Amino acid sequence: MSTPKSELLLHLDNVWKIYDMGEVQVPALKGVTVEIKKGDFVAIMGASGSGKSTMMNLIGCLDLPSKGTIFLKSRDISTLNESDLASFRGETIGFIFQQYNLIHSMSALENVLLPLEFLEYDDDEALVRAVNLLKLVGLGDKIHHRPSQLSGGQQQRVSIARSLASNPEIILADEPTGALDSVTGKEVINILCELWEKQGKTIIMVTHDANLAKYAHTVIELKDGQIVKSYENGKSR
Amino acid sequence: MKLTKCLRHAFDMVVHSKLRSWLTILGIVIGVAAVIAISSLGTGLQQTVSNSLNLGGDIVTVTPGFSRGGNFFGGFGGRGGGGDTATTKVITLDRSDVQVLRGIPDLALIDTNIRDQVNVSYLGKSGKVSITGVDPKVWGQITTTTLAQGIFLDATDQNVVVIGGNLASSFFSQPVGINKMLTIQGSSFRVVGILNDQSNQIYMPIQTVYQIVTDKTVDNYDSIDVKIKNKDDLATVIAKMKEKLMISRHVTNSTLDFSITSNAQIQQARSATLSSLNTFLLAIAGVSLIVGAVGIANTMFTSVLEKTKEIGIMKAIGGRNRDILLIFLLNSALIGLVGGLIGVVFGTILSGFMPSLVGGLPFARTLGDIVSLNSIIVALSVSIGIGVLAGVIPAYQASQLKPVDALRFD
Ligand SMILES: Nc1ncnc2c1ncn2[C@@H]1O[C@H](COP(=O)(O)OP(=O)(O)O)[C@@H](O)[C@H]1O
Ligand SMILES: [Mg+2]
Repeated sequence: MSTPKSELLLHLDNVWKIYDMGEVQVPALKGVTVEIKKGDFVAIMGASGSGKSTMMNLIGCLDLPSKGTIFLKSRDISTLNESDLASFRGETIGFIFQQYNLIHSMSALENVLLPLEFLEYDDDEALVRAVNLLKLVGLGDKIHHRPSQLSGGQQQRVSIARSLASNPEIILADEPTGALDSVTGKEVINILCELWEKQGKTIIMVTHDANLAKYAHTVIELKDGQIVKSYENGKSR
Repeated sequence: MKLTKCLRHAFDMVVHSKLRSWLTILGIVIGVAAVIAISSLGTGLQQTVSNSLNLGGDIVTVTPGFSRGGNFFGGFGGRGGGGDTATTKVITLDRSDVQVLRGIPDLALIDTNIRDQVNVSYLGKSGKVSITGVDPKVWGQITTTTLAQGIFLDATDQNVVVIGGNLASSFFSQPVGINKMLTIQGSSFRVVGILNDQSNQIYMPIQTVYQIVTDKTVDNYDSIDVKIKNKDDLATVIAKMKEKLMISRHVTNSTLDFSITSNAQIQQARSATLSSLNTFLLAIAGVSLIVGAVGIANTMFTSVLEKTKEIGIMKAIGGRNRDILLIFLLNSALIGLVGGLIGVVFGTILSGFMPSLVGGLPFARTLGDIVSLNSIIVALSVSIGIGVLAGVIPAYQASQLKPVDALRFD
């Protein structure tokens, strides 16, 4: 147990998510209780269909639980209205998706600027930030490239830069290397590790790959919508 | 997100939109072009009509015969006509009618006219044209046309003519100038004036016309033009003229054998007809605008559907419902604006052609440049408004998408 700080950042309290499919009801999460501390690197593991993405969506405030409560920075997210939730999400959480989810009509730079525009950053400040972030992920020379002009690894790095734009405390990554080959996947993992180690970000990463989970500090294993195992790797900052 | 940023994203969306969505703005383009062209035509008509009202508003014409049908364009075509076909008696106007009119103190001038066809030749080239015999003492003061050159007829010289602009410039092998001699029905006449119009008409003292044509009876007139002293009395003077003429001609309302028409009434009837025509055309243009609105709405629905994933991404990275709504609404407004701009360009070009499209009608001459800044501003505001209206529902739908659902969309 070597996490330096133990401030509670995220708390899922007996969270259920039941998808209503009309005739059948699919319970994707069944009473999950989890506490994630600030500065932790958490890997959420589990087989396909075990409820990892559902859990990510709830943690990322993209969806609300059917039952139970989610506290993000001590705030019950179900009490926030849509607009506040969006802004809160924009400030607090940076998303990295398996399929990068960049906007294709926009350049790398514009993609990274977008979250800052939503948060109404000053133009000059936003520009400096975005350019610096693209440099940080090693794309300083490709800021005007469109996603279609970039390789998969480069696109994922743009999306990492975008996730960092608003300087959020939490980086939420859903299978961030899932669409990449092992070499570029390693590069992406390295960037995440750096963010964790050097910038003190809280990283929450979904993966089904045990090799990737080794990089994390805390591992949570899901099975059929329930946490079956939760342990800490020896690894620490 | 700030409004300016929303606008920029909306603008980028327009720039990046596909050909298919450009096609749907055609409805707006056509609608706006039609509205611009039609309203420019309308303004032009109104101006020409009111100009000519100012000119001939105090002129009243008496003609023999009475048409109970009522001509749509207020006496353009067959003068006289109608009447009582059972009787063989030819209805005419003569000195006694003039005498009656002279007894009305509200009248300033009385001009007696006959019309006919004559052979005319100049430097070996000849043709048949219309001639009007007029009272040379009065005609110059009562006519609404102006002179391009020379003088109107006067009482001093009987063997002179005033000719229409076209007859002077292009009817013969060479242009006819002032003081040239035209041969009309075998006799020579000196041209003293050339009118500022496009006609092939010849005007000649009425007494001379009686001499050179064979089918007219002296002191019978085809029409009598009068100029009234005060234009505002038009209706009462017409009533008075009608009453006196009915008494002297021994006719009642049912056996009426003459007509009194005024320039003003003709113009009013014409302008009423034209303005209802105009309204009708505007209604058609309006339908086109509605079609355009539906087109834009359709484009917007498709675009929202295509951009579902992007909307999800935007929401995930901090986009609020309001931001999404605004971006799509502005996008729709911009599509409307673009349609409107193209429409204005086409409409303006079309307005240039309008006069020749309605060619032949006398009002069609000076309409070229009556597309006002006003109508352009109105047209653009309307197109933006249509864009906004058409975009409301799709944009609202986009803004209400749940981030999870939108992100799952492929
Ligand atoms: N939007 C949804 N509607 C209905 N069922 C869903 C939806 N999302 C996920 N599920 C179901 O919930 C379960 C968990 O899915 P998910 O969270 O995507 O798992 P994982 O990411 O671990 O593969 C699966 O059985 C899946 O079919
Ligand atoms: Mg998944």
